[in-house]
Amino acid sequence: MIKFSNVSLIYPNSTTTVLEDLNLEIAEGEMVLVIGPTGSGKSSLLRLINGLVPHHTGGILAGDVSVDGHSTQLVKPGAMAHLIGIVGQNPANGFVADTVEEELAFGMEALNLPNDVMRKRVEEVLDLLSLSTLRDRAIATLSGGEQQRVAIGSALVAHPKVLVLDEPTSALDPIAAEEVLSILHRLVHDLSLTVVIAEHKLERVIQFADRIVHINGAGIAHVGTPGEILMHSPIAPPIVHLARALGLKEIGVSVREMRRLTSDIRDRDFVPQKEFPHLVGDPIIHIKDLSVSYEGKHALKSVSATISSNEIVAVMGRNGAGKSSLLKSLAGISHLSAGSVDVLGLNPQHLKGKERRTSIGFIPQEPSDLLYRQSVQIECDQADKDNQIASGTTAQILQQLVSGISVSTHPRDLSEGQRLGLALSIVLSSNPAVLILDEPTRGLDYQAKKELTKILIEFARATGKCVVLATHDVELVAELATRVMFLADGDIVADGSTIEVLLSSPAFAPQVSKVMSPQPWLKVADVVAAIEAQQ
Amino acid sequence: MKKLSLHPLTWWIWAIALAIAVMRFDSTVFTISCVGAVAVIVFINRDDAPWGKSFNWTLKITAWILLIRTIIGVLIGVPIPGTTLFTVPILPLPDWMPGIRIGGTVTYERLSSAVTEGILICAIIVIFGAAASLTSPHRLLRVLPVYIYEFGISIVIATSVLPQLVTSVTRIRQAQKLRGQSLRGFASWRRVAIPLLEESLARSLDLAAAMDSRGYGVSKKRSRYRPIKWRGADSLVILSALVVVGLS
Repeated sequence: MIKFSNVSLIYPNSTTTVLEDLNLEIAEGEMVLVIGPTGSGKSSLLRLINGLVPHHTGGILAGDVSVDGHSTQLVKPGAMAHLIGIVGQNPANGFVADTVEEELAFGMEALNLPNDVMRKRVEEVLDLLSLSTLRDRAIATLSGGEQQRVAIGSALVAHPKVLVLDEPTSALDPIAAEEVLSILHRLVHDLSLTVVIAEHKLERVIQFADRIVHINGAGIAHVGTPGEILMHSPIAPPIVHLARALGLKEIGVSVREMRRLTSDIRDRDFVPQKEFPHLVGDPIIHIKDLSVSYEGKHALKSVSATISSNEIVAVMGRNGAGKSSLLKSLAGISHLSAGSVDVLGLNPQHLKGKERRTSIGFIPQEPSDLLYRQSVQIECDQADKDNQIASGTTAQILQQLVSGISVSTHPRDLSEGQRLGLALSIVLSSNPAVLILDEPTRGLDYQAKKELTKILIEFARATGKCVVLATHDVELVAELATRVMFLADGDIVADGSTIEVLLSSPAFAPQVSKVMSPQPWLKVADVVAAIEAQQ
Repeated sequence: MKKLSLHPLTWWIWAIALAIAVMRFDSTVFTISCVGAVAVIVFINRDDAPWGKSFNWTLKITAWILLIRTIIGVLIGVPIPGTTLFTVPILPLPDWMPGIRIGGTVTYERLSSAVTEGILICAIIVIFGAAASLTSPHRLLRVLPVYIYEFGISIVIATSVLPQLVTSVTRIRQAQKLRGQSLRGFASWRRVAIPLLEESLARSLDLAAAMDSRGYGVSKKRSRYRPIKWRGADSLVILSALVVVGLS
């Protein structure tokens, strides 16, 4: 269906090739997963399929990409619209209509399909993606998962043979992600649709993939079955790390397979681990009866909590549960309708300048909002000047966080992870007592996540510091959080140690715990420690 | 009150007619009452969407334009004799620029003529700002013919990305505040401008790519899923504006 023959791609003003001599053939009805570190060219590979690269972005392409016999060199992306549906990284940016129904019809209108065909197909897609109840809704009012479904639907109405998705679940909570992926799985099996998908959170998609294309960032791509690729790949979901740590001969890519492979280990008699109570210092943040509402809608309803030093609190919950509202109230940038927040005895709404920087550090969902200078060097110098610290301090923190950033780079040209690193080092340079992060792992690869975990754990270990982060990433929470607050519809529905909260909710349980249940282990290190203790 | 659902071109034709009327009347009282009426219509009829909210910014920006225009109009230009209000020091200019001066006596007449001209310019900006905030750019695109396809893409990008910028400005200023930066003065806007520019570029490219890959502009003919009909209410709105033009 899709054929890459000797494809090489290079962007102008760039010294590295994105792809080098890639040969790949994708058959009809195959689901192919593209993995690789951030900035390695996954998106470019996807966009080559319908010719957006190079027609839309520029770049020099050697070799040939053809879909169903049509070469992208000869036709423009628009002429492939009936053949290929593409869903971008941020579907909200690509919407062209106001309501769900009109959005679904847009592509068909452009292809000049007759009215009765359009009506039939819109109904089909509404049913297929369970969107019927949303048909008249304004797109702007939909949740992230619903928007993602609409985007997939509007690609499907043209009855394409190939569906291409760029990180379809990165902004979604685990439940919404599962919905989207199971729909894709069904499309592959029922309609024999060919699906190409790029994703960082392998734990979510790996069980659905037939083959994996692994791009290493230097132009080289490996193609193989999940088993082959993941045996050696540095990019692997926790489940594979578990198989490696246990020294299993084969690796399982789904929880079911792994449970079969590890049944003998699970059934051994383990000495119950001694509980190490997490040492908690003095209270730092007091939240009392906090309510926040936007335009008559309650985002938070009378929430109370106390957060102490040395804690890493993960705020979890579905899209729209009030996580961001809680974080913004802690940082003092949302209007409270009732209740109070105090941080170190101060009201965060009244903090200004240096006092603000030394008490609260905030990393917004888009870390680039904090960055406005022309180069990494100037950004670092600015932070040094703002905080009146020795020049070079921020740059030094940055080198510790993410090594190998050229200081003359423009912040825009950094990869997702590097940009987060830069924003983080600017915030850390003022040595705040509280560090707040809103969805820090969107678009981060495993390596960058590991670095982030290390930094945050180290930060929270110092006296008088704490970390609060909102995230959908269960695996990250298992690795680093000491406490989880679970929000639903503006209420705290669970608040306790990570192990208690994560193990009590099947949808939000990490992979290792699903494999090892009923043993109370969250991460690979827990399993290894327990086995060592037993021997 | 139930919101009117009008043809996307209606408010634009209405705005053009009103702008003509305002220019032909050339009366400050009429202009101001017209702006007032337009504002009321917008506040009643606008959608709860990004473009609906853009009208507040139109008003803010227009107020600035009026202020700056008045200051410049008073300071620079041809003196008009009349009642003296106050005097500003005169900036000496070379001989070859006769008739022009900077500073000097500010008369009541001069001030009022500067304000009148400013109000007229601003009224026209407000009227078109109103049309932009009353019409969904997406529906506008659907009624535009395909042969102005490049133009169509630019219109959608301009009218749908710009209002979203309003939301982005708020978000970025919040983030900057959290970095402990002051939100006052010219420098603070420079700090907002760069992330903003980047974001709007990225958004525009995304949107253009999405429209392209969905086949927009490939077929010269375009079918209509749910045709937008011209209704009585549309004719009424335009008729009312034409009556105002007729009276002028």
